[in-house]
Amino acid sequence: MIELFHVWKQYQKPLWALSDVSLSVKKGEFCFITGPSGSGKSTLLKVMYREVVPTEGQIIIAGKNVLKLPNHRIYAIRRQMGIVFQDFRLLFHKRVFDNVAIALQVLGTPVRDMKRKVFIALRMVSLQNKIWDEAASLSYGEQQRVAIARAIVNNPRILLADEPTGNLDPDLAHEIFGLFREINKQGTTVVLCTHDKELLRRFGGRVLALHEGKLLGRETR
Amino acid sequence: MILRKPRYFVREAARNLWHFKARHAISLTIICLSFVILGVFLCLSNNLREKSRAMAQNLAVVFYLGESVPAAERRPVEEEIRRSPLVGSARLVEPDEASARFLGDFPDLKDIVLNLGLNPFPASIEVSFKDPATPAEAILAFIEGIKRNPAVADVQFNRDWADKIASLGRVAAAVGLFFGGILVLAAFFIISNVIKLIVIARGSEIEILRLVGATNTFVRVPFLLEGTILGAAGGLLSIGLVFILVRLFPAAAGQTLGALQELIGFRFLSLGQSLALVGGGGLVGFLGSLSSIARFLRT
Repeated sequence: MIELFHVWKQYQKPLWALSDVSLSVKKGEFCFITGPSGSGKSTLLKVMYREVVPTEGQIIIAGKNVLKLPNHRIYAIRRQMGIVFQDFRLLFHKRVFDNVAIALQVLGTPVRDMKRKVFIALRMVSLQNKIWDEAASLSYGEQQRVAIARAIVNNPRILLADEPTGNLDPDLAHEIFGLFREINKQGTTVVLCTHDKELLRRFGGRVLALHEGKLLGRETR
Repeated sequence: MILRKPRYFVREAARNLWHFKARHAISLTIICLSFVILGVFLCLSNNLREKSRAMAQNLAVVFYLGESVPAAERRPVEEEIRRSPLVGSARLVEPDEASARFLGDFPDLKDIVLNLGLNPFPASIEVSFKDPATPAEAILAFIEGIKRNPAVADVQFNRDWADKIASLGRVAAAVGLFFGGILVLAAFFIISNVIKLIVIARGSEIEILRLVGATNTFVRVPFLLEGTILGAAGGLLSIGLVFILVRLFPAAAGQTLGALQELIGFRFLSLGQSLALVGGGGLVGFLGSLSSIARFLRT
């Protein structure tokens, strides 16, 4: 489902954010990417949905080389993805509903279905009672959950999440991880970046470790 | 897919129009004023063209007879004129009738005429033609023939006036298009910049839309709709203002214009011209938005 071949990324000389990263995530797999801050986890996710273009290398998503696709095909691939950004990227002047519905609007979902799906997604992250609140009025943790709801609302084929539980209390983080597991069981490929070793230990699974932009040789399961 | 989202596009455009209402009010004013200027000149041009058309349809030649021509010799001239196959009607206007007509048209000048102590108006023969579209060359040849009669002192042919008024109408339209064009161009840049500011203000939203898979068209359509609505509303508002001006102008300036009132009065815009103003406004708004959003999406 996701394949990276010798991917290099340099934002500024002489540092390399990614150094010769090659990896493969199979369809329906649940994969963690871990590493300390600045190890290149976010960059690795960004090249997958092509927010960042690698300096070198090839990226194949769902059988398509995303570096060779025209923009409109990239948007089509993104519509099949759910992305949880580290900085949430919410529209703070809009309501929670609008923030989540935006992922359905680009798909042309009818309004009635949209309301139902948004409600279900918000219930999954325990925010259904805040559906009509302004996003700006939510706490940090609640905003993170809205970002998660937006990523899962369109039943994506691929879910990419960058530190999705970084601001949540341990119980809620555990619950959200459980939710990702559930989504994964329904066939969604999940790639999740985290440096929370406790959660990794508790949930297990395939773990890819990054250090200074390099993928470490050892892989744990 | 675009066809499935008209509600979203309309809602987004309406939301933007409301959210950035102060900026939009400025653009709306500029568009409206630009089109008002264009509309006023079009109304003036309409009137001049209509006058010229009316004059051309009432194509007439007036032969003035010499003062020394006795009354008995006037009828034969009228008979000679009637014999021409071009002539529809010919009517001899005696000096007394001409004087009475003048005093009827200009009662304020009655004292001046009476103080002269004599009738200054010569006898004349008013001629109209069978066919209003009679070629000018044929009429001129006819006039030359009649002018050879020693009883005829002078000739007035209103076709020159009709042509002059028609060309004045064309000049008014051209002046309107020139100044209106400059202002419409200014309106284009203003709309373009207002939309650009709104696009920049909504930059993060557009970025999020693109990250969740929105195509450029999906991002673009609400802005295009917004610009088009703004432009068309400006055009519509300008029609209303032009209507008020056309109604108020004769009331405010009519008395001071005197005889010129007829000439520089305003005839309201035709349906086609009104639709062109609204459509033109919409087009200017659409193109203004298109240019700014296209530049933003390229970066």
